[in-house]
Amino acid sequence: MKGERPVGSIAAIPEIARVTARQLLGRRRTLLLVLLATLPVLLAVAFRLGDQTGVQQFTRRIYDTVSMTILLPLVAILFGSGAFGAEIDEGTVVYLLAKPVPRWMIVAAKALSATAMAILLTGAATVLAGAIDLGPAGNDGVLATEAQLLSMVVGSACYVSLFLALSLFTRRALVIGIGYMLVWEGALSVLLPGIANLSIRQYALGAAAVIYKLPVEEARLSAETAVLLSAILVVLALVVATWKLMRFELPGGSD
Amino acid sequence: MTSQPTPEIMSSTPTTQPSPPVSVGPDAASAAVPAAPAVAAPAIELAHAARWYGNVVAVNDVSFTLGVGVTGLLGPNGAGKTTLLHMLAGFLAPSAGEVKVLGRSPHRDPSVYRQIGLVPEREAVYPFLTGLDYVRFNARLQGMPDADVAARRTIALLGLEDSMDRAIGTYSKGMRQRVKVAGALVHDPQVLLLDEPFNGMDPRNRIAMMDLLGTLAEQGRTILFSSHILEEVERVGTNILVMVSGRLAASGDFRAIRTLMTDRPHSITIRSSDDRRLAISLITDRSVFAVELTSAGLSVQTAQLSAFRRLIAAVSKTAGVRLLEVLPADESLESVFDYLVRR
Repeated sequence: MKGERPVGSIAAIPEIARVTARQLLGRRRTLLLVLLATLPVLLAVAFRLGDQTGVQQFTRRIYDTVSMTILLPLVAILFGSGAFGAEIDEGTVVYLLAKPVPRWMIVAAKALSATAMAILLTGAATVLAGAIDLGPAGNDGVLATEAQLLSMVVGSACYVSLFLALSLFTRRALVIGIGYMLVWEGALSVLLPGIANLSIRQYALGAAAVIYKLPVEEARLSAETAVLLSAILVVLALVVATWKLMRFELPGGSD
Repeated sequence: MTSQPTPEIMSSTPTTQPSPPVSVGPDAASAAVPAAPAVAAPAIELAHAARWYGNVVAVNDVSFTLGVGVTGLLGPNGAGKTTLLHMLAGFLAPSAGEVKVLGRSPHRDPSVYRQIGLVPEREAVYPFLTGLDYVRFNARLQGMPDADVAARRTIALLGLEDSMDRAIGTYSKGMRQRVKVAGALVHDPQVLLLDEPFNGMDPRNRIAMMDLLGTLAEQGRTILFSSHILEEVERVGTNILVMVSGRLAASGDFRAIRTLMTDRPHSITIRSSDDRRLAISLITDRSVFAVELTSAGLSVQTAQLSAFRRLIAAVSKTAGVRLLEVLPADESLESVFDYLVRR
């Protein structure tokens, strides 16, 4: 028996996060997401050229219609479901599981990496589009951009955590995620205001009010409620993901 | 030598002994495979271990113990080898029985991986990492203080220095196998589990890998590798476990098992210029125990294939019969294993 080495060094987290980021970046669909992230920026340029800028217009046309409805959920669901999904599909998850690393660290590293990447992509698009269109709006423009950035941060953390956990239960996490985005958030939450408490979109919209009250009619949660529910969702999802990873079984394969 | 809970199967026999006993058939379900000089307790222990998925039984009532040394886990595809290795690696809980590695259950105990190295069957390795990055990544996750030094040392051991700065995605299949082994070895584990490690390797690398496994075992490690090719086992270790349909069909010295495989009843179909005359000549020889004239030719049953090969040439010449075709009818690996199970 060799000398016992410390197990569960926190240094494992950046190592796994780094490899996860490279794995997610290397996927072809990430290129499509980058292209998608240019959409708000291009729209901002178009509106600026048409002299149709202002917090009200920008929030309605770009933030609500494009960034919150399409860009944020799509990017975060793809990164969240892919953080473990890619490893499971490709079989490389075995290299993580066969290590003396506590499972919560693996989950935390994956979640951090995927969330950071989602924030980077959606945040960059938000800040750039805001800078182009809301520059002339003065302090209001700056606060509105910061509030929108906070939405992206909160939304990214929630979507990634939820769909990262789901990907450990099913290989269809991405399909379920897109269904959730289109049906639950896109249709049902509009028709049934009562389900706002179960909508990540509502959490992200509500959290923005911590900085600035954006003119979004749909936002139904107070800032405090939105932040609290977001925190509960993230913690719960990561705990469930850790629980599942501890029980994760590799099939026997062809032999 | 391992401790010997089942002395009727294997005595405490060193690996170098030429003809240790062999257990086949149902008796083999409980076996202690000696490997090398004495250790206090077996590194690997299975006691009536079973694993099933719904109605499908992948591993059925398997018991054995392994000590220091190299052991080959042999069996056809679908025999349950990977399931067994995954149970040993802690990735699957046994549905029944007990699995222990270094005295404890590996299931849901990540700390056991300080002493286990695993080379999975699947080829996938992070294609964007260089060989050195990958091995260093493994070393860091093992909490090694000198991860870079350990990674470079292991890379050199596997002969990958020239390609260690290249992305693994550009590696050949054999190189990927080697870098996987390097990743599993970097923390100097006591137990090494390898699932079909020679897949995709060219003969030179295969021999080098086999020699490496032998050297690692001599240094005091317990190594279990799976294969569906008997010849792969030959060079690496003298001990094998044969699995068929989820059961342990045979265990012991590979040479003895190989003899069993070679000298089992063989069915051979022969077409000749005069099948009837050839049949009369063949049935007089002791190596032939059944001859049948069929529409496809002469069906011959022999217990000694090598002796029969010599016999058929001589007999046909003496009888003045021209041989048109000699075809072994049941040479698939599965049929060989099936024979071992039935025996």
